[in-house]
Amino acid sequence: MSMLRFDRVGYSYGDGIAVHDLSFHIAAGEFTALVGSNGAGKTTVTKLMNGLLKPQSGTVYLDGVATASARTSRMARAAGGGVGMLFQNPDHQISKNTVLDEIAFSLSFGSMSRAEQRERAAAIADEFGFRADAEPFALSRGERQLLALASVLVAEPAVLILDEPTCGLDWRECMLVMDKVRARNQAGTTVVMVCHDMEVVGDFCRRMLVMDEGRLLADGTPDELFRRADLFGQAHIAPPQMVQLALRFADGDDALSRAMAPTADIQTALNAVLPLLSARTVQSGTCGPVVQGGVT
Amino acid sequence: MAGLLDYTDGSSVLHRLNPLTKLVLAFAVCVAAFVTGNLWYLAALLAFSLGLGFVGGIGRVALRLLWTLVRVCAFLFVLQLLFIRAGTPIWLFVTDVGVATAARVSLRLMDATMPLVLLLSVTQASDLSGALVKVARLPYRYAFTLMTALRFIPVFTGEMAHIIQAQTARGVPFDTKNPLRRVSLILPLCVPLLVSSVGRIDQAAISAEARGFYLRRRDSGYKDYPFAVRDGVALLVAAALIAAAVLVR
Repeated sequence: MSMLRFDRVGYSYGDGIAVHDLSFHIAAGEFTALVGSNGAGKTTVTKLMNGLLKPQSGTVYLDGVATASARTSRMARAAGGGVGMLFQNPDHQISKNTVLDEIAFSLSFGSMSRAEQRERAAAIADEFGFRADAEPFALSRGERQLLALASVLVAEPAVLILDEPTCGLDWRECMLVMDKVRARNQAGTTVVMVCHDMEVVGDFCRRMLVMDEGRLLADGTPDELFRRADLFGQAHIAPPQMVQLALRFADGDDALSRAMAPTADIQTALNAVLPLLSARTVQSGTCGPVVQGGVT
Repeated sequence: MAGLLDYTDGSSVLHRLNPLTKLVLAFAVCVAAFVTGNLWYLAALLAFSLGLGFVGGIGRVALRLLWTLVRVCAFLFVLQLLFIRAGTPIWLFVTDVGVATAARVSLRLMDATMPLVLLLSVTQASDLSGALVKVARLPYRYAFTLMTALRFIPVFTGEMAHIIQAQTARGVPFDTKNPLRRVSLILPLCVPLLVSSVGRIDQAAISAEARGFYLRRRDSGYKDYPFAVRDGVALLVAAALIAAAVLVR
């Protein structure tokens, strides 16, 4: 069953068309990446998903309900799991003086008792490794991003929308955020993520929607779409570097598939690419020296 | 979509006026609105401001601004009706003096706001600061402060819109139809707005200093701002507006 469905949706800001005749659907439990260059319409699509923006043409359905006729705040607090959204800038979400108050704030507009709110907020703060009385604006950028995510996850959303969740984070913080998201997805949460980092997309997402100038260019798995250099050129994005290398030198699909191993499993990826490199004369100076043999 | 204070490109007579002339004209409308209490004249000043918008090719911006001001003034109008007890009651608690005063205050607010916003919409911020420094001999740091304050209004408006969206998305009922509830929910949002504003202003100050802010002098700008015949005509109109306000007072 479709959790999210776009039916010929159009949206424009004044004279600039942001989304044009967009149709797709996302099933419950999917982990989907929305990729494309800046200005492709990705953020507009995410805001259309939870009703922050109402479609000017067509219809967006969230769990069978048209978002145009529903209030965003109510969709966020829907019984049985609403829709949660993590914005690119965590400072837009943070408004309380302590971590515990901040996390509990999302629950304070529902019917939950105050004791239960505090209990759930404390459990999430503990899971994320926060001190409950810590001051949110004294945290680092990465920690604030984690706090914003914790504040969204405490409401246990059925659909989680992430707008560039790893932007400005170092690799360790990025993995912390993404591991939390993956755990929720494995527990059944539908995840839609806008992301420019193709390594992260390749590692975590099972489906990619490629957008350009408000239109959907392609829809498929990362494994399928990373092979299409023409598509990525059209969308002004680049696949992960390992995949690019494998694409340049691979003779068959086997090496390419192994190069698409998660970045956490870098040894498998390198072992797939290095024999290809050592078997050929590298023409491009950008590739650097070729290491003989595998990685030990 | 451009914000109300964003510059709108064009070549109208208003665009070509000296930036200082535009400031004087806007100030004259404001002064005239406070000199007179004549409701018809206040309405005429509003029509004049709207006319300025159409002459400058920003009629839609002018109408949007008017609509925004009408909504604010409607609230103010009701407040005045509620609290002014002087005069003869004409309907329930509403008195004739209350209606006249409420109308006067609302029209004055619109008259004082519209021309300045519209004329800023047809003036590049750099031209306004340049003219203030070169022609009005204002020290650059004050002109920069004024321009920065104006430039940050739409930035902070946009920032607030993002904050409201982020809070709505986490379940804060900003999309309620109850205006009083909305106002009560706005207060906690001052924290994120303040934090982001202070951070942004700090960055702007460091950036300005890194680009030689303190080295800038009156003759640092290459552009001159001479007065033309049209500026003389505009200044005459400004004087006439104030004179007429005194006459119909």
